[in-house]
Amino acid sequence: MSIKGCIWAVLLTITLTGCANLKEVGDYAEESARFSAYTELTTRFRDTYSREQPYLVGEARQLAQANDSRRKAAYDDLLTIHKRVTLYMQTLARLSGEDTFDLSENLDSLAGGIKEHPDLGIDKKQVDAIAGITKVITKWATSSRQQRAVREMIQEGDAPLQTTLQGMKTLVRYYRATHENERKTVLGLFEVELPYVDDPENRLLATLARAHVQSKEAEYRAVAHRYEDAEQGIERIAEGHRKLVENIDDLTSKAVRDSIKRFAKDIKAIRKDINKLEG
Amino acid sequence: MALENERDVEAVAQCLSECADAVHERIKAAIKNREIERDQAQSLFQEESLLRRRANGLYIDAAKGVVAGLAESQADLLAAIDNAKEQIGQIKEVARFIDLVADLAVLAAAVGAGKPAPIVAALKEVREGVEAMNPQPSDVV
Repeated sequence: MSIKGCIWAVLLTITLTGCANLKEVGDYAEESARFSAYTELTTRFRDTYSREQPYLVGEARQLAQANDSRRKAAYDDLLTIHKRVTLYMQTLARLSGEDTFDLSENLDSLAGGIKEHPDLGIDKKQVDAIAGITKVITKWATSSRQQRAVREMIQEGDAPLQTTLQGMKTLVRYYRATHENERKTVLGLFEVELPYVDDPENRLLATLARAHVQSKEAEYRAVAHRYEDAEQGIERIAEGHRKLVENIDDLTSKAVRDSIKRFAKDIKAIRKDINKLEG
Repeated sequence: MALENERDVEAVAQCLSECADAVHERIKAAIKNREIERDQAQSLFQEESLLRRRANGLYIDAAKGVVAGLAESQADLLAAIDNAKEQIGQIKEVARFIDLVADLAVLAAAVGAGKPAPIVAALKEVREGVEAMNPQPSDVV
């Protein structure tokens, strides 16, 4: 093999190994960042009183009102938890993004700038050749730097992320329990009152009440799914990140990339499912 | 331990909710068997509703406990985010440096050609490039 051929072979190897291949990590992080079910359910939790208020009287109503102001006071803190996870995932997506560590555009403009000025006395062909090699070497250097940065972020972020996600799951469980108490109060009122008005004299009232119960039941059924989806989504995000940590030295292998891809797909599917329920 | 407390609070809240469920079933059965009058049913339901509101109040306490327990993790997560952002910032600096070298090459060419207008234009580019690398207000012209 000639020396020229040798150099090209080396450059080709560098190009191939230089490819960071972090697309799947980025996709997973992006999908995780877009998963907003927790925030929606937190808002629903905050608004509990406005929905249950018409069905409450006396002391129960006073207590519900007190709960209302406490929920509103806690709302921002409850959201911040999720905001931070979102920011983490957005940053991870950016860090593993294809363009973030790409300097080829800057190098192109450098070569272009030199070529525009023949007065510098540099041959255009030489400029192109040097720019080509520089780009390959830079790509190799930056992509290994990128891989290291992504690895460091995942390792540093895993423990706090897992704790935070588990905390979010616990909070969703409280939201769901609060929701159950609301549902049982609203529907329960009719179970208690309807039997006493179920006579020909009160037909109109009883009919309206039954129609109202029907629509409320449908509303609560739809919402119940969202709690399940949120819990599942958070769990998949947590599992996905655990997978990243387990394979931290092997993030660019095909098997690992495939399994990370599945996590991104699952999270996306759950998010789509929630959107469908809302729509 | 904080976590144990939340668990306990949640357990009590759950217990109250279950009590309310039991009261509700009892009211329904009593109505069905015509054991109670309407006003009795209403006041029993009122008790049930009160139990549920108390349970919901406890869930808020538990939620606040979770939030407080996450403070440290939130700070650690923010540190990981900041470190990653610094990495991104560093590579952006390299990019700006390469741009600056490109501008310098142009400046060198302009000086070589000895034409004032391109020199001034190239100087401006270089100055902007330097400023981009040191993003702080410079009052030195």
